Amino acid sequence: MMNATIAKLALQALLGRRRFYVLLAFPVLLIGLVALVTALTDGDAAYGVLPNLGYPLVLPLVAILAASSVLGPEVDDGSIVYLLSKPVNRYGVAASKWVVALGATLVAGALPILVAALITGDSTRALALFVASTVAGTAYAALFLAISAVTRHAVIASLMFVLIWESLLGNLFSGIAWLSIGQWGLRVGHAISAELPDPANLPYAVIASLVVTVVGVWFAGDRLRSFSLRGED
Amino acid sequence: MSELSGTPRSGVIHDLGYRHFDGVREGTPAIARTLFVTGVRHAYGLGRSGKSKVMPFLLLAMSLLPAAIVVGVVVLTGLDSLPVSYADYTNQTQLLVSLFAAAQAPVLFSRDLRHRSIVLYLARPLSAPVFALMRWLSLAVSMLVFTLVPTLLLFAGALLAGLDKSDQLTSVGKAIALQVLLAAMVAGIAGLISSVSLRRGFAVVGSVMALIVLTGVVTVVQNIAYYEGDSESGSVATGLASPWSLHNGLANAWDAGVDTPAAVGAAWVPAYVIVALLLVAGCLLGLVARFRKVGSR
Repeated sequence: MMNATIAKLALQALLGRRRFYVLLAFPVLLIGLVALVTALTDGDAAYGVLPNLGYPLVLPLVAILAASSVLGPEVDDGSIVYLLSKPVNRYGVAASKWVVALGATLVAGALPILVAALITGDSTRALALFVASTVAGTAYAALFLAISAVTRHAVIASLMFVLIWESLLGNLFSGIAWLSIGQWGLRVGHAISAELPDPANLPYAVIASLVVTVVGVWFAGDRLRSFSLRGED
Repeated sequence: MSELSGTPRSGVIHDLGYRHFDGVREGTPAIARTLFVTGVRHAYGLGRSGKSKVMPFLLLAMSLLPAAIVVGVVVLTGLDSLPVSYADYTNQTQLLVSLFAAAQAPVLFSRDLRHRSIVLYLARPLSAPVFALMRWLSLAVSMLVFTLVPTLLLFAGALLAGLDKSDQLTSVGKAIALQVLLAAMVAGIAGLISSVSLRRGFAVVGSVMALIVLTGVVTVVQNIAYYEGDSESGSVATGLASPWSLHNGLANAWDAGVDTPAAVGAAWVPAYVIVALLLVAGCLLGLVARFRKVGSR
């Protein structure tokens, strides 16, 4: 399924030029902020940054940036036709790009959360949050890749899912936890440390994350299989 | 034909004998005005394809829905005041306002630069700075309309429900004045980012970082400084760092019904106003410099 050349090209697109610096800005910002607050007050006050800012905002933004930069620019300027004209399995294309996006999400999203949580002390809590962000990051990368394959407005559509559905409405209606990737991740993390909230049940959270990941990658491949070129709207 | 048009034109390469235009030629002001109107229309997708209307109107509908619900509640239950103040309503829907700016700024600022159609605009008697300022003005006015519509809906609902007119008028006036400042700041920031990074997705993420992530960081730091660090002035000073905390801080100082972690005292008001104005001025200078540079290439 995997295609090393496509993965390499996607990695180059991801690390190319200015995009790399924006991707780098997130971990630096998060770790810097947590370290600063820990130094000024104490670790428990600084920990508040992670469930309020790091996990619900920085992690999905990194996933959006990663997923949309491995596929978005090619769809945007139409150069994806050169890739699609090669005799490569389209599902393989989607899977290769997803692996790169996942790697970037974990390195620039989940790992900084682990480091920042370790700075605040309590390594069990840090490990739980890391597992939560790994689970959520995996599903996020697949979902946002699928969105990038469908619409040119992928970034905005993904942002609306994260900011409006998961954050804004998720805070108002607790039932949205059943349909929110971030909450599933937290539920898996809750199995390790009880400091994380417990919004849904564990088997459901695991299965739902897996389903979103598999279906997201499959759907991205399916969209690439029946890709139609459109002009600028 | 030359006897019909009066004076023979000079500098014509090839005269096919068509009738010349000898009416009044309008100058820069007319071009600037048209550019402004087109910009506002394009920000809402009017005069563009159906698909580009979806995003702005979806966001507008989402920011109107809670206002409609609030008005319904006030009318049906006979409350004697609105449960949320006008300025606080804008603050509560800030995600939608920021997303609107992030989504629509690339429409106004990136496309001309990416497709190089900017040279066609600048071939007219319209200078690059005026072009940049008109684009900014149309985004700022669209933002203002975006925040103004729910506010006016709330206001109309409040008047129809028979709430005190002079109270409502004062607080809606304050909210609108703050919205003008907010629109100027947010349009400047989103416009500057979109004119520098020309890929749409990239510009959107950049604007979201500057508007939503930065505001989140500022809010967290403000809360920690006040509740954990016991530093009221530290908390208020942090509020200088993002457009939304500037808006909220000024609303708090002006008694417009927005809560900030630490109350903003009268002494801080000049600092907040000056930083806000400097922010707008800085963004405008940046935009003008950017379009000058691109236009001269």
